[in-house]
Amino acid sequence: MSYDLIIIGAGHNGLTAAAAQAARRRKVLVLEARAEPGGLAAGLEFHPGFRTSGVLHDSSGLRSSVITSLGLESHGLRRRPISTSVFAPQAEGPGLLLHGEPSRAAEEIAVHSTVDAERYGRFCEFQKKIGPYLRNLLNTAPPDISPRGFGQFWDLFRRGMGLRRLGREDMFECLRIGPLSVSDWLGEWFESDLLKANLAAPALLGTWAGPRSAGTAALLLMHQSVAENEVIGGPAALVRALNAACEARGVELRCGARVARILVDASKVKGVELADGQVIDSTRVASAVDPRQTFLDLIDPRELPLGLAEPISNWRCRGTTAKIHLALDGPLEFSSRPGQSFDAVRIGEDLTGIERAFDAVKYRRLPEAPHLDIRVPSLLDPGLAPDGMQVVSIQVHFVPYDLDGGWTDDRRADLIESSLAQLSKVAPSCRDRIVGHQLLTPVDLERDFGTSGGHIHHGEQALDQLLSLRPQARCARYATPISGLYLCGSGSHPGGGISSAPGMLAAQAIR
Amino acid sequence: MSDRSYDSIVIGGGHNGLVCAAYLARAGQKVLVLERRHVLGGAAVTEELYPGFKYSVCSYVVSLLRPEIIRDLQLPKYGLEILPLECSFTPELDGPGLVRWPDADKTRREIARLSKRDSEVYPLFGREMAKVGRMVKPILEMVPPDPTSLNPANLMEMLKLGRLFGRLSEEERILQAKMFTMSAIDFLDEWFESDLLKATMGVSGIIGTFQGVRSPGTAYVLMHHYMGEIDGAFRAWGISKGGTGMISQAIAESAKNLGAEIRTEAGVAQIMVRAGRAKGVVLEDGTELTARHVISGVDPHRTFLGLCEAGDLDAEFLASIKKFKMRGSSGKVNLALDRFPEFTCRPGDGMHVRGDLAIAPSVDYLERAFDDAKYGDFSRRPFMNVVIPSLLDPSVAPPGKHVMSIFVQYAPYAIKEGPEAWPERREAFGDAVIETLAEYCPDLESSILHRQVLSPWDIEQQMGLTEGNIFHGELSLEQLFFMRPTPLWARYQTPIRGLWMCASGTHPGGGIMGASGANAARRILKSRVRA
Repeated sequence: MSYDLIIIGAGHNGLTAAAAQAARRRKVLVLEARAEPGGLAAGLEFHPGFRTSGVLHDSSGLRSSVITSLGLESHGLRRRPISTSVFAPQAEGPGLLLHGEPSRAAEEIAVHSTVDAERYGRFCEFQKKIGPYLRNLLNTAPPDISPRGFGQFWDLFRRGMGLRRLGREDMFECLRIGPLSVSDWLGEWFESDLLKANLAAPALLGTWAGPRSAGTAALLLMHQSVAENEVIGGPAALVRALNAACEARGVELRCGARVARILVDASKVKGVELADGQVIDSTRVASAVDPRQTFLDLIDPRELPLGLAEPISNWRCRGTTAKIHLALDGPLEFSSRPGQSFDAVRIGEDLTGIERAFDAVKYRRLPEAPHLDIRVPSLLDPGLAPDGMQVVSIQVHFVPYDLDGGWTDDRRADLIESSLAQLSKVAPSCRDRIVGHQLLTPVDLERDFGTSGGHIHHGEQALDQLLSLRPQARCARYATPISGLYLCGSGSHPGGGISSAPGMLAAQAIR
Repeated sequence: MSDRSYDSIVIGGGHNGLVCAAYLARAGQKVLVLERRHVLGGAAVTEELYPGFKYSVCSYVVSLLRPEIIRDLQLPKYGLEILPLECSFTPELDGPGLVRWPDADKTRREIARLSKRDSEVYPLFGREMAKVGRMVKPILEMVPPDPTSLNPANLMEMLKLGRLFGRLSEEERILQAKMFTMSAIDFLDEWFESDLLKATMGVSGIIGTFQGVRSPGTAYVLMHHYMGEIDGAFRAWGISKGGTGMISQAIAESAKNLGAEIRTEAGVAQIMVRAGRAKGVVLEDGTELTARHVISGVDPHRTFLGLCEAGDLDAEFLASIKKFKMRGSSGKVNLALDRFPEFTCRPGDGMHVRGDLAIAPSVDYLERAFDDAKYGDFSRRPFMNVVIPSLLDPSVAPPGKHVMSIFVQYAPYAIKEGPEAWPERREAFGDAVIETLAEYCPDLESSILHRQVLSPWDIEQQMGLTEGNIFHGELSLEQLFFMRPTPLWARYQTPIRGLWMCASGTHPGGGIMGASGANAARRILKSRVRA
């Protein structure tokens, strides 16, 4: 049997690429090693009757252009305005409810600092002003930096002019901020620790960098510029819609089909070989699995083009995020705001504390006070838990993949305990309401979801692993030096998270 | 008034100020250099604080001094003599340590003990870095173009820069992009596997910064220190005979010979500005001196926040100067020693100690030293770069005795008790340094005749470097090239007409390089027509 295109991995990027290519009347086969599609975006039953809305739980990066061009709304996708409230609780104090609407957020900020409240509006305005430039950068293929004639100079020139259009001062400001640490940048604006910690958190998800590491300000700007509306039902609902879109376009999806090898002959793709030995022919293969696996595990080293093995083996993908899922028999309540419920919560009261949590990763240790990014998906989608009960989804930042001494049962228990201790400081009643839980360490994520190093972004998002260098200059524009082989996962520009952008941009690059 | 009026007045007799003055004098200007202290050199000074022992008080090694400056100013004629530091030694507590020798084969055998693979890669790495250095070299001598200006002269400079980039191969472009963004250790990880070797090499990435070896951006600082190896042979670091002050002395002599006037103990209190134009300076004793150009050889903070009236500058510019990160992170301990102290892991005063020594036994050790500093403390177990100049240059100590120069990191200016608390913490800091070094060198404590401890606060007080930053501002990506010290004023000129900058706070930055001073002089001479 032969296909126009085989896609390896039915994560949300693989499905996006499949649906987009099928719309061009191509016969597409998607091969998924797991029993169901979705990868890290899929929902997961972690305790009888309790489901998550996706291992990755933030869907605010999903591009509107993807929804429109794939007609996802006709396949059941619904959105709501970006998290109306991200709550930063305090052990002592009222906490901070950071509203999506700047003027309402400012009211809350004023409780902590009137100066900050006044500046917050200007801070949001600045981001809004440079937003279009960044969105353009993140929603198009990265510039070609190979020395190849006039075309690329034109492209670089055009982008340069785009930056120039921001005006002299804002342009320089962008260039200046990018390499800063998020701590330095926010420090220039604000004084409240709680506000700074809350704003910085999204920049640190999945990084091997603390708030004081240079370059994290760029990550924050990137995150903020693309944050839009959230998918109702979370990433899992996106997977359902993508799946329906694929089905409607005749994409064939095979689950439980693990690809063992990408067949390459004379630098051309021939097809794939499954773990059970079956060979499927195709002159085009797009890989949605991470770059390390694609090039180092799935391709015969003798077929790998010269000079590719080395940069790919240098690809940094040391996972730093663990997941904890809690099944609660009642609401998640915070002592600072009794009786209220919040679906998005960040726990970390100051940047110094978060920096200390990061320090542990450097020495392959567990953080004493982990930094938690929490969602309560069952508040928005009550079907995820039995009546009156809740699902709490926790991304635990700064948990090392290569833990010193290995991930023994004791260490797993330590991580759960320290995370719950953090949570209990602000939500004391929570511990007694736990009826079930699950821990996924980076090692578990690697085993269950096949991402190298358990990295949720398929590779660190550091300045040298972004844009034209993601995952490597010669395959940054989705095509690879192997003719017919493409990359379409989070290891490609613009990187990880639930955006569907790499999948969509790859689909546009597939010839 | 004619005797009090000059073409140019240079504030600060540091090496960049002196270089700038010398070039201006060479072009026929009437130049005056004003130095607040009794000695010239700024951070590049030699002082005899203990009879018979000459300390290179702050700056202690040289490698980046531009060869064309040495040539143009005929520095050897005025007494400049560089003694090469040929070895680099990293002692260990439980092992023989690592020595990199002048002989490549011997070095390869040393490294092979740690890792066979690393020993093979090591020479390739050196060649690659030299290549990067060559790429960067033309940029060092360039007045940074303004990427937003459509002025034809500026566009030509941009084009020149574009051509430089255009000539690079794909691999070189990638390498450059990585150098500017990666951490020193991530960068070295791509080449080497031995922890001791990576630690030894990684320290070049943190010297003078408030960053750890794992902090993104430190790969650039690593390269900044490698640039000294471009023109000469490998390991082109050296010390100046008679101490670092001799470099300043030679430049000053050359400048004087070219007609420049140099005054010491003449501190500038204020830069006189009339109608947006610099008119001259007021000295601390009230004397007013006028000049067409006033050139600041002190750091940007001191220039604009200290010597200018707030009313002479607009608020936005002042805000951008305040954002320019100073953050001194290093201290200095200078010792007068009764005898040569033996290092346990390699005894004797042979070749191996006649270079620089690094206390950098592992990558984690260095990173932990940084962790202490991050939270406002000096490192309990710091990174140190040690040189014993008296082994190479007996003139700096009495016969049989020695001076030891210890550069220490981290000692953050802003300790948690506040910078003013440094005088109370200074000796504890000195103790931590001696204790750490004594682990490798048990003889040390009993051989100390005199010790001088300089915290970044002391460096600020004595040398006038804001927050004790030895580079006049951090060498982080957003503070380099056309952004140094601020994006809109990176071409040695300032918002005040006739006021210029010529020191390390401008492109290409710190170290005894002289490039800032020479570039600024070039720029000022070009502007003469308009003045």
